Parts: sequence; C-alpha cells; structure tokens
Amino acid sequence: MSEEINGKKIFSLLEVTNSIKKTIADRYKSSFWVKAEMNKLNYFPKSGHCYPDLVEKQDGKVIAQIRCNLWKDDYIKINSTFQRVLKEPLKDGIKILFLATISFHPEHGLALRIIDIDPSFTIGNLEKEKQEAIKKLQDEGIFRQNKTLKLPLLTQRIAIISVNTSKGYQDFLGKIEKNSWGYKYFHMLFPSILQGDKMAEQMATQLKQIKKVRTHFDAVAIIRGGGGDVGLSSFNSYELAKIIALFPLPVLSGIGHITNDTVVEMVSHKSFITPTDLANFLFQEFHNFSVPVQKAQETIINKSRRLISDEKTKFHSEAKLFRSVTENILIKSRNSIKEQVQSLFQQSQFLFKNEKEYLYSIREGIRKGTNTFCISAKQEIKQFALTMKKDVAAQLNHFKLIVNQNAQQVVQGSRVILQTRRERIFQIREKCSDKTLLLLKNSNLELNSIEKNVTNMSPKNVMKRGYSITLLNGKAVKNFDKVKVGDNIDTLLFEGKLNSIIKATTKTEEI
Amino acid sequence: MSDKINYTEAFEELQGIVTEIEGGEISVDELSEKVKRAAQLIKICKAKLTTTEEDVNKILKELDTATKDGDDE
Repeated sequence: MSEEINGKKIFSLLEVTNSIKKTIADRYKSSFWVKAEMNKLNYFPKSGHCYPDLVEKQDGKVIAQIRCNLWKDDYIKINSTFQRVLKEPLKDGIKILFLATISFHPEHGLALRIIDIDPSFTIGNLEKEKQEAIKKLQDEGIFRQNKTLKLPLLTQRIAIISVNTSKGYQDFLGKIEKNSWGYKYFHMLFPSILQGDKMAEQMATQLKQIKKVRTHFDAVAIIRGGGGDVGLSSFNSYELAKIIALFPLPVLSGIGHITNDTVVEMVSHKSFITPTDLANFLFQEFHNFSVPVQKAQETIINKSRRLISDEKTKFHSEAKLFRSVTENILIKSRNSIKEQVQSLFQQSQFLFKNEKEYLYSIREGIRKGTNTFCISAKQEIKQFALTMKKDVAAQLNHFKLIVNQNAQQVVQGSRVILQTRRERIFQIREKCSDKTLLLLKNSNLELNSIEKNVTNMSPKNVMKRGYSITLLNGKAVKNFDKVKVGDNIDTLLFEGKLNSIIKATTKTEEI
Repeated sequence: MSDKINYTEAFEELQGIVTEIEGGEISVDELSEKVKRAAQLIKICKAKLTTTEEDVNKILKELDTATKDGDDE
C-alpha cells in the first residue's frame, strides 16, 4: 500500500494502474454497443489477433480515437459473418456497430475489446455511402459524363483493367482472340486487383497510366469474373467512380456479379453483367459494321447489274424508237421537200409571169414616153429652128447693115487713101521723069562708049588685028594639052581658014 | 490504299453510295467510277475489321517515357 515520505502520500505505478483497473471494472461492468469507424483493422496473421484503431470523425476530422482488441476467435467468427452477409470481409474504412467491453490492463493500458460486430449496420452504412457517392457525383454533374463519350464505329483497341490470372480475363481473351468472324482486336492488360482494400488505389493508378497512352485505345474494359460477389464494395467508392466518370475514354465494365450495380458500373459508359457479355457487345459492334459493308457490296453489285441491264433494255428500245422516229421524220421531210419544190416552182412561175408583165408594161411605158418625148423634142427643135432662122436673119440683117456701113467707110477711106496715093504717085512720077531723063542721057553716053568697045572687041576686028582662032574638030582650042601631034586642026583668020596638021607642040613657059 | 481515308469516313461514304445507288441517283456514266470507289471503300472497311496497327511494345515505351517525364496530372 502507499507509504509516507516527507509528509507526502506516495503510490507505486502498479498501485495506480491497479486502482484505474479496479475503478473501470467497477464502472463498466457490462458490455455495451458502440458505433465507430474502422480506421485500421491491424490484423496480425501470426497471432491471428486484431488491434483495430477506431475513430470518430466530424467533418473529416478525428474527434475521438481508441485502440481496440479483437481476439482471434472473435475475429474469425465476425469475419465469416461479414463475408456471408456483407459479401465483404472485415476491413479498413468501414463503419461498424460493435459490442464492446472496456478494460484496463496495467501493462497495455486502456482498450475496448470487440466482442461482436453487427453486419447489418455496416451494410446500411455502405449502402448509405453508396447513395451518397451517387448523389455527390450527380450534384457535380459528372455522373453521366462517361456515357456522353462516343464509342468509335469499331471498338477495336481495348485497354483492359483486370488480373492476369483471373478467369474472367482469360474467358474474355479467349472470346475476342478466337472469334469465328476473324475480327481482330488489339488489347493490352493494365493489371490491377479487383477486390479488397487496395483495389481502388491500384485501379486509379492504372487508369492514370492508360490516360497517358489513350490515343492508342478506343475504350477501357474493366474485366472481373469468377470472384463471386465478394469484395465489391470498393466499386462504390466515390473517388474511383469519379475517375471513371471523368475518364477521357469510354469505360466498359464487365464485373461479373449478381447483386445490385456498383457505382463504378453506373458511371461506366456501358456495363455488362459478365466479361462474355462485354465481348459479345464488341462483336456486335463489328457485326453492325461488317454486315452493312457486306450488304453494301451485294447491293452495289446487284444494283449495278440491274442498272446496266435496265440501261441496255432502255437503249435497245430507244434505238428502236429512234429508228422509227427517224424514218417517219425522213418521210415527212421528203414529202415536205417535194411540196416545197412544187410550191417553189409554182411561185417562181407566177413571179416570172408577174415580172414579165411588169417588164412589158415598163417597155410600153418607155416607148410611149420616148414617143411623147420625141414629138415634143421635134416640136421644140422645130420651134428652135424657126426661132434660130429668125434670129439668124435678124443677125444677118444687122451684120449687113454693119457691113454696109463698114463698106461705105472702107470705100470712103479707100477713096481718100487712093486720092492721097495718087497725088503722091503724081509727085513721085514727076520726080521720076526728071531723074529718068537725066539717067537716060547718061546711059546713052555710056552706051555709046560701050558700043565702041564692043565693036573693037568683035572677033573680026580682033582677027583684023592679027589674032586667029584654032579649031580642033570644029571647036576652039583653049587648052594646049588638048592638041596632040598628028591632029588635024583648022585656023580661022580675018579673011579665011587654014587647015593644018600638027607636026610638033611646044608648051610655052610660064611667064 | 489510295488515300488516307479512315474507316469511319469510308463506312459513311460507302453508305452514301449505297443510298445513291438504291435511290437510283447514279447514272450509268457514273456507275463505273462509283463501283470502283465502293470497292476501294469496302476493302478499307474489311481490312479494318481484321487488322490493327497498334503495338504493345511501342505503347510500353511511350508509357515509360511519359512516366520518366513526370506526371503532369
């Protein structure tokens, strides 16, 4: 018991802890129900015991916290109930209603001992959380966001979130890889566990990875199967659901289970009950593409054939029609040409006739016109001739008068001139007769002298003076050279004639 | 393939040709051209159903690079 030192009452630690223990044991005699959040289960596999860390939160802040003990036997019993009722094991993060006793151990301190946990409370709470998650997503306006994305015409490239060894994944691969239509899919696994506490975290990480290479994929497929309905509560996680809702690629979920849809499935683009259904959906998409293509091919072939044969028929009938129409037109044209020729001929004749008549009338007109013109011209000429005659007569008279006058003038003028001339001539004659007389006298004198000379010069007189004329052949010889030796020459003298023959010639020298 | 038309466009164009031909909007003059084109489009569509050009290794490499570059989100 306590001892006294220096007037102070002193307890040993054990005394204190024992005292606390006694007090608490006295105070908390019976067990009681407590609600709290399982912050950490702290399960120790070796011992099989759990030391859960329980908290109470208000606005996200811890306002109460206590350490608990969950002994091995209790844990096994509670956990199996949970698995059975909740489809979930006892785990971190859930709200629990538990039966507890409080105890104090001198060595380990104060602790709540969990004797039992009521699973229905947790279920209700999980459901409540699920509803809250849905509401929150709806309030944020993103609940249907992933559904608004459009899947391409062919969902061919798939990023798969699954577990390599899971049956669901193997089934899915088997289906899409060995489909009987020869459809080819590209798939790549982004492994993540699909149940339990770590699931949401791992899935979020893989989704982040996929996001980085999203251009290589058409959709994300969450494949889970064969795991029963256990451990699905993480699929109701608000955080995970939000990532999926906001994911840039359409998310297809094939999480095999029987119970109600999880939030993740609700926000997915499309959700399928099993991975096989998901695969079938992909096939259906391909069928939806392939069938119209096949049909298009058939339609195009059939329609083309039909079109060509129709066109052929049409062409034949057109050709036929064309021929008959052409023939008709030819006949019509021929007839029309004939008619036109006839009509042209008639019209020409008519026109010729008309023209002829017209020309006749013109000719007549010209003739008449000419006649009239000639008559009037004749008359005019006659008239003109008459007038001219008169004019000429008048003119002649006029001229006669003028001529007469002129003649008279000429006569008078001539007389005057003649008179003048005559007088002049008289004067000149008188002068002339005087001079002539003188000239005659002189001339007489001269003539007398000349006569005397001439008499002296006569051949007789000359010959009297001793000169002779030599004749050769009756002609006077004037040139010495004409006379040659032997010539018979005559020499005329004053009183006779001598006949001689030339004995010699001698040329007189020039003096 | 003659041009870089994607399968969605090919599919739509093909449907267009089918509609035209069914509606009798195609004349014989255009037919050959259209059928030729349709054959091309069908080839593109069928090829799409049975082939993919993606490569896991390439994506892994890309992921690696992206991770090394650091997370930007």
